Amino acid sequence: MNRRIWSLAVITFKEGIRDRTLYGIGLFALMIMGLSLVVTGFFLRELHKVTVDINISAITFGGLLMIFSLSVNLMSKDLDKRTIYSVLSKPFSRTQYLIGKFFGLVLLSLAAVCMLTLISTLTIWAVKSQYPIYFKEFVWLAVFQAVFAEFLMFIVLNAVVIFFSTVTTSSFLTLLFTISTYIVGQTVEEVVQFIQRQAPEIQLTTAVQTVIKITQYVVPNLSVYDLKVRAAHGLSISCSYLLSITCYSLIYSAVILLFASIVFSRRELT
Amino acid sequence: MSISRLIPVVLIVALVLYCAVWRHLHHEREVFLQENYMDYTLPSRFTGPAAMEFKGIVSDFLFLKVIIFLGEKIGKNEKFGEQDFNYLQTSINTITDLDPYFWDAYLFADMLFTWDMGECEAANKLLLKARQYRTNDYRVPYYLGFNYFFFLKDNINGAKYIMEAAKLPGSPFYLASLATRLSFYALEHRTGIIFLKEMIRDTENEGIKQNFMLRIKALEIMDQLEQKVSEYQKIHQKQPSSLTELVTAGLIDKVPDDPYGGQFILLKNGRVYTTSKMVKQK
Repeated sequence: MNRRIWSLAVITFKEGIRDRTLYGIGLFALMIMGLSLVVTGFFLRELHKVTVDINISAITFGGLLMIFSLSVNLMSKDLDKRTIYSVLSKPFSRTQYLIGKFFGLVLLSLAAVCMLTLISTLTIWAVKSQYPIYFKEFVWLAVFQAVFAEFLMFIVLNAVVIFFSTVTTSSFLTLLFTISTYIVGQTVEEVVQFIQRQAPEIQLTTAVQTVIKITQYVVPNLSVYDLKVRAAHGLSISCSYLLSITCYSLIYSAVILLFASIVFSRRELT
Repeated sequence: MSISRLIPVVLIVALVLYCAVWRHLHHEREVFLQENYMDYTLPSRFTGPAAMEFKGIVSDFLFLKVIIFLGEKIGKNEKFGEQDFNYLQTSINTITDLDPYFWDAYLFADMLFTWDMGECEAANKLLLKARQYRTNDYRVPYYLGFNYFFFLKDNINGAKYIMEAAKLPGSPFYLASLATRLSFYALEHRTGIIFLKEMIRDTENEGIKQNFMLRIKALEIMDQLEQKVSEYQKIHQKQPSSLTELVTAGLIDKVPDDPYGGQFILLKNGRVYTTSKMVKQK
């Protein structure tokens, strides 16, 4: 990788690590994981399912909070505090700046996911040791596959953050658009399926149908990364599926970064 | 008196007041929840998209709500009404739409539907849904078979599902015997024979194999006797009154011995049965 991009990624990563928000998010995720030690006992037999549900949800929630707060702030801080001028005065192109920032944010997400996964592994192990009888269907591989899929989603969302921070002028708008993309991305598949199933009953205008079709291609389908239910039941995912979501994640991020780069190179920084 | 000295006093008074208010609110809230308990669950058409990627944990939460609400009724020995049935059905449908593999939810609903609410059809419908997803879980067809046999007195379907359960990995060996016994009660000898032959192929244990062979032998004799009864009916245009009439008509040499030590008998409907009920006679 280009040394300049790498050094910018490392700076972004270090800047993120220093932010106290990260500790708050980590503490919150830890609390949810701790909750699984208590709540699991209320269920009948499928304690492994409940434990995995809570722990992977905590990892996801922690990761999302990090993107919505930390990633958005790290991107907008440079513009708000005008520190971007000092960066761009160096032999950096705007595209390199964006890519460097993106890799920094991805590194930050990776570190957070690794940390949270380590803690949730310990939590699951603790519950498993407490109720070994109810963990017969449990599969570690399925859990790690689900976490990996979540990380792929974080890559896409970080690219989305980069894109919106180049388009908008305020961090609040970036946050709003990123959250909207996340919600639409999570629900678009279900909405399309629902419409297809109910097609004869619901009379949709051609315009609405076209909008839904376009949305399907423009907005990332984030539900493809949701493997939590399968992981909770110890159902592993095929390598071809994992490969396909990995490619989807990388290509979508690359495309959106290219668009961000085009917009950013034409943007007037005042 | 300075303000700094007053602060601890005010704090203690505030804490006492807080405790009093909290206790009062707690009591009021209990009354409120008893009067207005939200015993409904939104259908999955709404809950599904709203839960986004947290469907698993939302299904856990909804299930916890159901077991707490209905568990309290079970604890108090309260009778279940139509409202409870509707609540349970809607909730379990939503929960299993969110997580279609959630066996605890299926089983909890099955138990309540069959034993407490007398809604066996609803239980079977739910188990059929579970069967689509938990394809390798012998418990799903086992409970289906049990419901048909025990609650609906439908031995044919009971045997069919228990046979299915016996073929799935992890199923206890006795399911095979149970299935043939059920099909025997249902007088479906052919089905029982085919099923047992398949089971022998997958069984390593010699003792169990011997057990199955004996059962096949008895079922085959009964099947052959029934064929002779049909032959007799074709020739004489009437049904024989007993199996000895088949001997008199020259269709068989003698009424065969039951390998279990009982006696084969002819029922009024033309089917052959044994007094041993396929249990070894002492």
